Amino acid sequence: MAARPLSLQTRSLLAAGFALAAFLGLTGIALDAAIYETLSSALRDRLQSYVYAIIATSDVARSRHWLPPEVYPDPRFNQPGGTLFAGVVGPVDTNNGEAKSWRSTSALGAQLPFDAMVSPGEARFVGPVDGAGGKIYMLSQGVSWIVPHRDPVNLTIHVAEDARLLDAQRDVFRRTLWTYLGGLGVVLLALLLFTLRWSLRPLRRVADDLARVERGERERLAGAYPSELAGFASNLNDFIDSEREHLQRYRNTLSDLAHSLKTPLAVIRSELESGSEGEKLRWSVLEQAGRMDQIVAYQLSRAATSGHTTFAAPIRIGLHAEEVVASLEKVYASRNILCEFEIDEHARFYGEQGDLLEILGNLLENAFKWAQHRVLLSAHALPHVGLRRAGLMLIVEDDGPGIQAEKVEHLLQRGARGDERVQGHGIGLAIVQELLKAYRGTLEVSRSEALGGAAFTLRLGAG
Amino acid sequence: MRVLLVEDEAPLRETLAARLKRDGFAVDTAVDGEEGLYLGREVPFDVAIIDLGLPKMSGMELIAELRAAGQRCPILILTARGSWQDKVQGLKQGADDYLVKPFHVEELLARLNALVRRASGWTTPTLECGPIVLDTTAQIVTVNDQPADLTSYEYKVLEYLMLHAGELVSKADLTEHIYQQDFDRDSNVLEVFIGRLRRKLDPENTLKPIETVRGRGYRFAIPRNESSADAPPPAQG
Repeated sequence: MAARPLSLQTRSLLAAGFALAAFLGLTGIALDAAIYETLSSALRDRLQSYVYAIIATSDVARSRHWLPPEVYPDPRFNQPGGTLFAGVVGPVDTNNGEAKSWRSTSALGAQLPFDAMVSPGEARFVGPVDGAGGKIYMLSQGVSWIVPHRDPVNLTIHVAEDARLLDAQRDVFRRTLWTYLGGLGVVLLALLLFTLRWSLRPLRRVADDLARVERGERERLAGAYPSELAGFASNLNDFIDSEREHLQRYRNTLSDLAHSLKTPLAVIRSELESGSEGEKLRWSVLEQAGRMDQIVAYQLSRAATSGHTTFAAPIRIGLHAEEVVASLEKVYASRNILCEFEIDEHARFYGEQGDLLEILGNLLENAFKWAQHRVLLSAHALPHVGLRRAGLMLIVEDDGPGIQAEKVEHLLQRGARGDERVQGHGIGLAIVQELLKAYRGTLEVSRSEALGGAAFTLRLGAG
Repeated sequence: MRVLLVEDEAPLRETLAARLKRDGFAVDTAVDGEEGLYLGREVPFDVAIIDLGLPKMSGMELIAELRAAGQRCPILILTARGSWQDKVQGLKQGADDYLVKPFHVEELLARLNALVRRASGWTTPTLECGPIVLDTTAQIVTVNDQPADLTSYEYKVLEYLMLHAGELVSKADLTEHIYQQDFDRDSNVLEVFIGRLRRKLDPENTLKPIETVRGRGYRFAIPRNESSADAPPPAQG
């Protein structure tokens, strides 16, 4: 057995979940990148301001040596093993003499990449790079210090900060960001689940109702459904009704068959038991056999009637009528009957093809039997009401003797009973009536205005 | 008349064959579609009766195959279901008439006669050539309104000749269409029948209805009368 496909709810949740995860994830990544940019640019600005402060608080001696500042712009430069470092490369004047470089108190003994020279006027920001036993962000500024009446002194000032400070800020931000995004995702999914269950509830109700119908607790789908499901439910109801009618018809047919066969059987039995023999018995049995044959033929055709119209595809009348007439013209070739058509282009039969053939065949055959020279078949589409399908009117006329008005009712009743041997418009008419019952149509027998004989008018309702 | 009967149900096949023979038909029977097709290809039949529900090859297929093989004799189909879908389908395949089971044998015989008549261009159930009138329904022959007393075989020979009035009918044709397969074709029984027919129909030897075409066969020489205007409608029912 193939695996059961995922439920609609699971599908929607999965799809929405993936979309949400992708959306929130990308948002998070973008925000994270943005905040890193902000943080590192703020750090650079801060380091730059330290550089300016160091330049402002220092000086160059007449010996063209740089004099370190007496006070640092930030006390952290003064803490050995601290997190903020400064260094200068160039001719430096120290208290003890002259040197080629200088370092702040915090930078003494720390491993820092403070040896490079940068050309004057250039500021270079790098990080995170190795330094001070971990990672640092570093700004290197090249300076050309102007000394009056002498060549300028070229210096490079390095300021660095431990990367952990920025990382810590970033971590705090990240935690907050992802907490909020996660929370948002959960809330959205819950909301989605709720709306999904709410909008799928009518479908569940249809399924439940259908299960109830199946269990026999209900006759049909009751209750009001949303407009999207109303059509479906009403079609389903029609289907259920037609199935039920079908079943009912089978039951009736079976019981009618059994009951109506009992009479001829009883006649035969009584003939046998009463000791009749010879020609009399033979005729009696023959007669009853004929009667049983009629009964079986009638009930058989009744049971085979489909009558399903709900999902039936429309069938054009013309082609099938031509087939039937071609057949009849062959069978009744010696009668030289002319059959004319008057078929509306839009006329459609909604039902089984076999049923249409049965209706046309039986009515036209009767017409061929009774007609002198002419038979007329007309089919018209009846105007449809609203969204329902157009109805159909079929008229079969002949130029035969016709049927007297007072005999019409008798004829139709006889057809409806169908269990006795009838002459002329016999079992065929009974079959047509049975079919019309299944398709909820009507049959009217009158005199043909065009041809003068009998006219059979069928109306199959819209919808 | 030579008839092909294809029916798989033994009791029906046998009673029908017996009844048809009694009525003067030469009958060939087949129990399934394949046998029916074989016979239908080999033998020139006047009419065929084919059941739709056959083993090996369905009646519908058999009809289509027979028509494709050039068999032009009229075909009557027997069907148990009797739905119009079947009837229309069968007639479209090439059948000419249908009968729904169970049926009255008389009905079948009447239909067969009508089919044979129609196939040879007669529209009425009575064949009229000059003063000779053959009523196919009552199987009575009259000459100048006087009934002629014919035996069953004489009647069959005359019916075949009159159906093909004006056409040359070879001895072989006549033998094949009138007698069973096992009939001794070399005997001169046919000539005896023709001789007797001539005497009974034309004792004065003035009409000369049956012409002998030396070495080739016979011809019914009196032309067909203009067929009476309109055939009466068949019995309703």
